[in-house]
Amino acid sequence: MNNVILELKHVSKHFALSGLRNIGKVVHAMDDVSFFLNKGESLALVGESGSGKTTTASVIAGMYEKTSGEIYLDGQPVLPFKTREASLRYKKKVQMIFQDPFASLNPTHTIRSILERPFLIHKLAGSTRELEAMLCDSLEMVGLSPAKEYLHRFPHELSGGQRQRVNIARTFAVSPEIILADEPTSMLDVSIRIGIMNMMLDLKEKKHVSFLYITHDLAGARYMSTRIAVMYAGMIMEIGPTEEVIANAVHPYVQLLKASAPAPQEGVRKAAIPAKGEIPSLVHPPSGCRFHTRCPYAKKICSEEVPAMRDIGNGHLVRCVLV
Amino acid sequence: MHADAILELRNLKAGYATNAGFVRAVDDVSLTLHRGEFLGIAGESGCGKSTLAYSIMRLLRDNARIESGSIIFDGTDITSLDEKAMNEYRWTRMAMVFQSAMNALNPVLSVEEQLVDAVLAHKQVTRADAKKTAMEMLELVDINPERIASYPHQLSGGMRQRVMIAMALLLKPDLLIMDEPTTALDVVVQRSILQKIEELRRIFGFSVIFITHDLSLLVEISDSLAIMYAGKICEYGPSREVYASPDHPYTKGLMNAFPTLTGPISRMGGIEGQAPSLLSPPPGCRFAPRCSVAIDACTKEVPLLQVTSPGRLCACRLCGGNHE
Repeated sequence: MNNVILELKHVSKHFALSGLRNIGKVVHAMDDVSFFLNKGESLALVGESGSGKTTTASVIAGMYEKTSGEIYLDGQPVLPFKTREASLRYKKKVQMIFQDPFASLNPTHTIRSILERPFLIHKLAGSTRELEAMLCDSLEMVGLSPAKEYLHRFPHELSGGQRQRVNIARTFAVSPEIILADEPTSMLDVSIRIGIMNMMLDLKEKKHVSFLYITHDLAGARYMSTRIAVMYAGMIMEIGPTEEVIANAVHPYVQLLKASAPAPQEGVRKAAIPAKGEIPSLVHPPSGCRFHTRCPYAKKICSEEVPAMRDIGNGHLVRCVLV
Repeated sequence: MHADAILELRNLKAGYATNAGFVRAVDDVSLTLHRGEFLGIAGESGCGKSTLAYSIMRLLRDNARIESGSIIFDGTDITSLDEKAMNEYRWTRMAMVFQSAMNALNPVLSVEEQLVDAVLAHKQVTRADAKKTAMEMLELVDINPERIASYPHQLSGGMRQRVMIAMALLLKPDLLIMDEPTTALDVVVQRSILQKIEELRRIFGFSVIFITHDLSLLVEISDSLAIMYAGKICEYGPSREVYASPDHPYTKGLMNAFPTLTGPISRMGGIEGQAPSLLSPPPGCRFAPRCSVAIDACTKEVPLLQVTSPGRLCACRLCGGNHE
């Protein structure tokens, strides 16, 4: 039984730096990233800023061209697109929700013109009346009702939460199979975050879509996903079933991340692992394991060779030579 | 005034004059902060928590003003002090760490110039002594004192925030106000900065007002907690107690809005609707339109902050008295 809808095999993305002094220098934003996404599954991609998680989503969405590696949709290699039709076909299946609800809606367009674009581009409506019904349906689906009240408004007339709902409605307009959600709640007020998260979980069930849920918040990832992948400095360090990765984190970085998350029940904790340093430069990433410069257990070998992803059973993979 | 109180706010009202009218961002706030206490103020964007901080520092923008009420710092009402008198307090006795350390440091001046200037502006010392003070303080926040010659762009985000903390503590203030100091930082860096603040507080004994929207963080680090909603404090008490048994429906909603790393995963509720505009706040309780247990009376009368049990206050007509 093949249940995999999306698969990345050793995908890398390097950005060339601009400027005369930087000729030949690249940012290793994403290196050797491999994972798969099952149909109807929600996989959380967790990492700090600069870890490459947004780059990963953008490469999958086809916004950046990958440097190397292969991406498969339904077992077929995709990207780069050869024709506009191929690109459209792919983008109808793979849609992205952006982090910033203020920047991702054109401020000079009404909600109607923002929302009708996917229907027009993908020629989904047969008539004006049908389009109207589709627009209303998609707004009601995200809890913006009565829909007619919202269609003529401009983004600045909506709150952050409402704008993110419009974004989600636009994403779901083309009945996609995969949603790449890039920190969709991180810029919203705390009291409305959970409402948006619940709505995405409901839509996932109702529409049978797969989610790649990107976040820096380990607890939010736990709430949203069944599997979790943790990225650091452009590489996946640990991937596996959510509960297992969180309860029995194996990679020292994941342990550090877990120890650093706020835990209101406990008082100021001295983290089990001292929190030192920050994410290294990705122009000259550390040799060997990218975490070795901050790792309390690092040995000589850690700075010499890049550890491979190792399966420790039950679909739980770790990139650490000491495990 | 309590004998050991360093700061007391009495019925403070402050706000902004805008084209659309006056926005009262801080509405009738009363609070007491004791010496050495770590007070957390939690609230969502637009609830007035930053305005409260800037009012205490008397650093409000030109279109903003303190309408009424008093700010009593160590026995003196500083609400109407002129700039010259205020400078005796600002930075010397009370200092602030601003939200975005990325922008709070001057990009064309080295760390040395900025730290030394801060000392010289308030103290009669030689430049060499000021530099010595600055280097000692950098060491305390875990920055190699040699880095004093660096410019802000040569430092990482976490280091810049440490420089801001060093700058705030240079003159050993009695009160440190921190306005979302870790919001823009990654969790690991955030954790190390929190540990550092705790450590420094033990060394110097200053009081802290820590402002954030991240309630789970506050519960962990603060002694007491004030929850703000739409310009008003709706609940106050010892952090652990407020966390374990919140009284106000808004606090209860907030507590049910954070997923956790441990324990069973259950569907969480969050809070329906959104915070009201402070241009025309709803009559009665400001939370009533979003409150799931509101009754008719809630929309008519403004609930006062009342004692529900020793040390705990709540502004809700439905929770007064039932908390023994």
